[in-house]
Amino acid sequence: MTALRLGSRRAAVTPAGASAPTSRRVRRPKPARLLSRPSRVVMWGGLLLGLAVYVLFGIVPMIGNVIISFTDYTGLPGEAVHNLGFANYTSIGSTQAPGFEQGIVASLVFVVAVTIGQNVLALLFAHKLVGSGRFAALGRLLVFLPIALGVTVVGLVWILIFDPQQGPMASLFGAFGLHPAFFGADYWAMPLVIFVQIWQNAGFSTLVFIGGLRAIDPALYEAAAMDGIGGWQRLRRITFPLLAPSVTAAVLLAVVGSFTTYNLIYVLTDGQYGTQTLGILSFNVAFGSFEANLGYGAAVSVILFVMTLVVALPLMALLRRRERRLLG
Amino acid sequence: MTRMRRPRLVSGIAIGVLITLLFLLPVLYAIMLAFESPSHFLSSPLTPGSPVTSNFSGAWNGADLGVELLNTVLYSVVAAALSVLFGLLIAFPVARRLVRGHSAVYTFLFVGLFLPLSVIPLYAEARILGLYNSRIGYIILHVEPGLPLAVILLTAAIYSVPVELDEAAWMEGASYLDYLMRVVVPLIRPALLIAFLYGLLGVWNDIIGPVVLLADPSLFPVTRGIYNFFGSNESEWTLLAAAIVIASLPVVVLFAAAQRQINRASLVGSVKG
Repeated sequence: MTALRLGSRRAAVTPAGASAPTSRRVRRPKPARLLSRPSRVVMWGGLLLGLAVYVLFGIVPMIGNVIISFTDYTGLPGEAVHNLGFANYTSIGSTQAPGFEQGIVASLVFVVAVTIGQNVLALLFAHKLVGSGRFAALGRLLVFLPIALGVTVVGLVWILIFDPQQGPMASLFGAFGLHPAFFGADYWAMPLVIFVQIWQNAGFSTLVFIGGLRAIDPALYEAAAMDGIGGWQRLRRITFPLLAPSVTAAVLLAVVGSFTTYNLIYVLTDGQYGTQTLGILSFNVAFGSFEANLGYGAAVSVILFVMTLVVALPLMALLRRRERRLLG
Repeated sequence: MTRMRRPRLVSGIAIGVLITLLFLLPVLYAIMLAFESPSHFLSSPLTPGSPVTSNFSGAWNGADLGVELLNTVLYSVVAAALSVLFGLLIAFPVARRLVRGHSAVYTFLFVGLFLPLSVIPLYAEARILGLYNSRIGYIILHVEPGLPLAVILLTAAIYSVPVELDEAAWMEGASYLDYLMRVVVPLIRPALLIAFLYGLLGVWNDIIGPVVLLADPSLFPVTRGIYNFFGSNESEWTLLAAAIVIASLPVVVLFAAAQRQINRASLVGSVKG
């Protein structure tokens, strides 16, 4: 009985499909009406509860950040909070609040290097690991491993490897007469932090690219092979253009991610030796051992957020235009 | 034909070697260190000696890993489960267009994927709401980060459940929650698992949260535990390596067990994109 009804209804509805909601609405009764009144209350209750969690701990902090940036909030209970107006913003870059200009430079270096390195490496990996073979599966497991291990374990393992006294890298560099302090040395720390950040997140970009590669219709490659078009040409004419949407996604995620992240830097150097990006600067000003200046820290993170938008939005427009150009 | 295959094989091997060197060696080095006796490590730090297990007991007791692992499991399992539950409660009405503004709700949550976690106001909120330095508070504060992804993944999965099932069940008077739990949940189990795993990894690996939101060492999760252990035992590398291995073993096992589901998920994502 039910099956029969299901069958006839599906036949009536499928041609309209999910992409044509208007015709769907005309043909069938509003689905919510089928729910009993108590069930509808439960449904709304669940939805609103979920949204409340999202608003309270996702959206309110966003707004709260801006509000705190106009105050001298210290986070200590019982201490009065004063409105400072734009004082936190105007003191940025002044001598009382050093580190901001280096922070901008460090952030830009970090973002550019990580974005390029992470995506180039991920493209290479994805191209080789997209298959269904056992080695490809093993490779995917390996490149994803750092994400499972997390920044603390990853950071500490690399600190062991780059230990200036007993680490294997000390021996390797020592063979060339070099004895740097690695994470404890200017000019060495930043490139190493960038390297570990790429190592940590390359697997994520690889998964994005593998998803994109698998979405490409294999018939295109078969047709190309039939016409005798070789490997490199196939890569250039089919893979690159059709991968454009994945490139957009992966590049934007890397840019936004590397602008705002600082947990790995916290573990590796805590922002010392020229690695103080704006993210870790904001954190250190607020929670570091010297000062508990949450207002100033919040102002730095607001500026960081604006900077991220200023970079990411035009980049997104650019990448979208590239997609349209490549896909015709 | 063979002429075309050869460079492909070579580049395949090259990438294979690169991946092994880059990703396997560091892990193997940490494992090797964990089994090294401190004296052997001091004399020859690069070669494996006869393996010892004393580092593991030393690290287990020295870093209080037992309590910390329990804390971590509690925080990450409960918070991730709540993320998935709330995600489902949002995703179902949105996917089925049961509420007005369903697409606005979806966009609202999609934006959340790109919002940075603002730790300063979160700390202020934790202080104001009494969630600072408490187990329950720590869990509540960690539900939201997993929520946007859960909604996105579950909405996509619910599309694949036939609408006719809803109608048949509701016409026969099944309640909303009964239907959700007995019919929808079993059908979208892979997506639920992936949303849960991503949420779990996020909480499990968080280091900033435990530094900012917790003060009492008995509440610390294992990330802050090994970080502090590192700070206080800076020269005892073998102990540290053992602590690292213990701390990451559960999540590696879990991750390897769920590998097939994760691969399938990247496939699902590609179909949608």
